[in-house]
Amino acid sequence: MGGSEVGDPGTPNPGTVGNQASKLPYIVYKEQFMTQRTRYFMFGSALVVVLGLGVGAVAYYNGNLPLKSRVGPEEFAYIPADATAVAYANVSAIMGSQFTQKLREVLPTGEEKAKLQAEFGIDIERDIDSVVAGTNGAGPGENGIVLVRGRFNQGHLEALAIQHGGLAQDYKGKKLIVFGNQYAGRDPVPGQHPFAAVAFLEPGLIAFGDRTAIERAVDANATRQDVTKNAELMKLIGEVQTGSDAWVVGNFDSLKQNANMPAEIRQHIPAVQWLAVSVNVNGGLNGVLRAEARDEKSGEELRAVVNGALAAGRLVSGQDKRIEAMLNAVQVSGIGKTAVLSFTVPPEILDIINGFAGMKHLNEGGGK
Amino acid sequence: MTANRRTPGTLFAALRVFDISLGDMLWSRRTVFMGLVVGLPVLLAAIVRLFHELGAPGMRINNAAVTGPIIFGLMIWVFFVRFSVPVLGVFYGTSLIADEVDDKTITYLFTRPIPRGAVLLGKYFAFLACTIFVVLPSVVLVWLLIVPIGGSLGASFLDLVKDLALLALGLAVYGAVFAMIGAAMRRPLLVGLALVFVWEPLVMALPGYLKLYTVAYYLQGLVPHAMPGGSTMNLIQSIFQETPNFGRAMFTLAAIELACLWFATRAIERREYVLEQ
Repeated sequence: MGGSEVGDPGTPNPGTVGNQASKLPYIVYKEQFMTQRTRYFMFGSALVVVLGLGVGAVAYYNGNLPLKSRVGPEEFAYIPADATAVAYANVSAIMGSQFTQKLREVLPTGEEKAKLQAEFGIDIERDIDSVVAGTNGAGPGENGIVLVRGRFNQGHLEALAIQHGGLAQDYKGKKLIVFGNQYAGRDPVPGQHPFAAVAFLEPGLIAFGDRTAIERAVDANATRQDVTKNAELMKLIGEVQTGSDAWVVGNFDSLKQNANMPAEIRQHIPAVQWLAVSVNVNGGLNGVLRAEARDEKSGEELRAVVNGALAAGRLVSGQDKRIEAMLNAVQVSGIGKTAVLSFTVPPEILDIINGFAGMKHLNEGGGK
Repeated sequence: MTANRRTPGTLFAALRVFDISLGDMLWSRRTVFMGLVVGLPVLLAAIVRLFHELGAPGMRINNAAVTGPIIFGLMIWVFFVRFSVPVLGVFYGTSLIADEVDDKTITYLFTRPIPRGAVLLGKYFAFLACTIFVVLPSVVLVWLLIVPIGGSLGASFLDLVKDLALLALGLAVYGAVFAMIGAAMRRPLLVGLALVFVWEPLVMALPGYLKLYTVAYYLQGLVPHAMPGGSTMNLIQSIFQETPNFGRAMFTLAAIELACLWFATRAIERREYVLEQ
């Protein structure tokens, strides 16, 4: 009970126990709800729930809280909030993976790499850490931007750009080098490629794209109206980014709205609303392609289409063990509106390709 | 003087029983068990978060990255909806009256000038307060620890609210079902355990209408997270999964709760409890 105490016999009280007639003290029930420690417990418990809900409510209405881990790379501060597609690649992790080492044995590409290093002084494998790209549409006139983070010799790159006809300009404190015959004008001519530009946004961060895109990136950073405010896109990014070395997330609807796309093709594209592709590169290559349809019926149809395509692939492959092995590495899953296609390219596949290439090379050598 | 005394109403009497029972329930050995049941997810969440903060690579299932909101959804299913809620319902619900009978103290309650049903109702409200005030903070802590791993607190806030509401509802319904069993049967704990660990999982994995006679069917239909895959039982359940719509699930759960409480109070009013000497 709440507690008891010796009371005054003259006080009428419900719950009284004892002889009313006698003058002996009797026990009076103390009208106190719950014991003190029970009250403390209930209060503490309620406090945890209320604080949690308060934090959640603030995060829900405000969109951001310092408590949460940052979703996406820091370069997102330069991708405008109206972006419809964003891509990311952890170049250093990809280049340092065993898979890339093996791939290099199969597809040697030393010439281009050496050319890039000689001209720009950039070693792709060592100097570039990550690449982030974003666009707010799929058309050629849309504002696409590529942000490269790494270690660059800014002075050398600037000099090189100006040497190639670039004009150095300043936009809100950021240095832009604009290319194009009419870079003095502000607006690109319709139907022509917009002015290309390079900007040095931060030490170790270079932006490539058309001038409008770069200016919008600088504005997005200044006003903090960046892609992290785009809740739908960020939700998908949050789902694909963990443990992925490279990923692309995009609104498929905006691709279909592209005026250049023929109506026949547009009609045959399934009712996919969002598309996300993520890749993890280690010993092998693991990838997940996730498509989100507009409704559950479309999601079901989408899964059926992919399963049908895989079945057709198996039928066509016949007895080819290599194709069969590759198709077996592809799995389709998903629930509701989502269709997920996961695939694995084991390093052994590269060994097989390498083996075939070697045999072909030997045969060609023997033929001569 | 006795003539002037009025018998307190059911609600007032239930409130007094609630007051007595809440302290007894909260500071009993059973609460240690409850602490373990709901403390384990918090501990696991803290470990996962710690590993994440130390830079451990993210978890992956079928090549897909597992983010905080997904882990939180899995924990809600595995630890709370499928385990904590029914188990706490069994252990507390069946003991509401059974403990008083076992301790031979039910006579003291029944000799008070209050309706017998008020004893059960008061104890049921105490059970609800006791479990809700332990389970919900645990869920909130798990949410705060886990969701920020690759997810956003804001984006999953509505799911948290739904989770808290459905867990409170689950405790209320399971508590009412087992309170009825506790009031009406001789070996309520055994019956309750059989119901939770044999009947419900078995029926949920079978095709057909039998799943309509489980609480889990309606409660699991309200969970805002995808059902976890992995075990054979989960796979079978997902094959035969049918989800009742929100209105139907809510109506049925409310009906089950009210009906069970009514039967429980009726049973306790009519039953003669013979205490073994």
